Amino acid sequence: MGEAFRYGVTGLVVVGALTWLVRDEGRAIRSARIAGPLALIGIALWLILVFFYAPVERVQGIVQKIFYVHVPCAPVAYLGFVMTAVGGIGFLRTRDQHWDRVSVASAEVGVLFCTLILITGPIWAKPVWGHWWVWDLRLTSTLVLWFIYAAYLFLRSLTAGSDAARTFASLYGILGTAAIPFVFFAVDLAQGGTLHPSNPAREGLPTSMLIPLLVGFVSFALVFWYLFARRLEIAQLEFTRPEVDPG
Amino acid sequence: MNGPRIALAVLGKDLLVDLRSRDRLGHMLIFAALVVVLISIVFRAASAETHSAILPLLWIAFLFTSVLGLGRSFQAETEDGAWVNLVLVPADRGWVFLGKAGANLLALLAVEVWTALLAAVFLEVDWSKSPGTVALAGVLGAIGLSVLGTLLSALSASARFREFLLPILLFPLVLPVLVFATDITTEALAGRPFAARTAGALALFDWVFLLIGYLGFDYLVEE
Repeated sequence: MGEAFRYGVTGLVVVGALTWLVRDEGRAIRSARIAGPLALIGIALWLILVFFYAPVERVQGIVQKIFYVHVPCAPVAYLGFVMTAVGGIGFLRTRDQHWDRVSVASAEVGVLFCTLILITGPIWAKPVWGHWWVWDLRLTSTLVLWFIYAAYLFLRSLTAGSDAARTFASLYGILGTAAIPFVFFAVDLAQGGTLHPSNPAREGLPTSMLIPLLVGFVSFALVFWYLFARRLEIAQLEFTRPEVDPG
Repeated sequence: MNGPRIALAVLGKDLLVDLRSRDRLGHMLIFAALVVVLISIVFRAASAETHSAILPLLWIAFLFTSVLGLGRSFQAETEDGAWVNLVLVPADRGWVFLGKAGANLLALLAVEVWTALLAAVFLEVDWSKSPGTVALAGVLGAIGLSVLGTLLSALSASARFREFLLPILLFPLVLPVLVFATDITTEALAGRPFAARTAGALALFDWVFLLIGYLGFDYLVEE
């Protein structure tokens, strides 16, 4: 329980900080200038650690290294989904379109990282579990979340432009985030348990593996921040210069 | 006019339209009958093992039937330009949502009873083993489906490709309802004790989405 509490507090702090950042859209867009170089340094450091510092796992061998890609994607994808709801609530409350752009940007980047989870997972699972896909709690619920937010992007592309469309999308973003705990419980009930370890750190992960993982968490969060800020900038440009057609 | 009266008026209007035109309800009932008949034909060698797969299949048949009906819940308003009447309603517009969702709930309950009857006839499902629990699962499941479906059908009413959009929006969100309701029904007919935790989760889900629908509908019809 203490662990869940720590995760909750960390999540709230990150979401709170990001919410503060995006309250001023110009500030959020400018922050890409900081996030970009930091992400570049972080990723370089992470790659060096993964390839030259982290040991080759005894049982799984070199395949286990995908762990350092797979695991850090997860919190970042969740961050994207929660920020979609934050943007939705912000838009419904203030009717300020910049909140709606926050939703679009974070949903797109969230779906990107969620897709990465779903791609790297099977690549790792095939040699280790012997199957590309296992119907277990985390796989199924991640897949369902991917469907929810892919539907969000679909909704956006089919109802573009009007204020009504922005309201629709905001509501759906909020609905999607509200559904996350239910999806977890339902999938758990239907399939019973998971093959995933509940928390890698608690399993007594050696420091040599923990450090690359933690660096991965931080640098993936920076990559998220950078992509998010750039996507926000594109959305803002589309808004201020609608006559510019990227196609 | 106060809120509950508006909800009742909307509910009564939708019910009247359903009963008079018989379009929506009639098509749903025929569609449900077809699906159940198809299931019973492909499962003709209904042995003991295949029998356990029938209840989840029935819930999925019910879901597919519902999505057809739910997609038309704002048809009259969009086609006849009656949205403006919903917007101008002199009360909290959440009540309009409750009325709409209530009318959908009644339609879905009718489909459920019909599907259950057909299943009893064609698939020899014995509902009498624990009728109370099955009814509870049916009602809670129908509430969740009608609440989410009404809200999402309002979202997709004016979109392009709305026939696709509604199920794509609805199915992943409604997954918990499907799982909880299927679980309660299967457990009840297998003679196991009543799964209070699952029923509680389903009721909580219904409540949360009812609340979001009630509060969110106000924003939806603002335009």
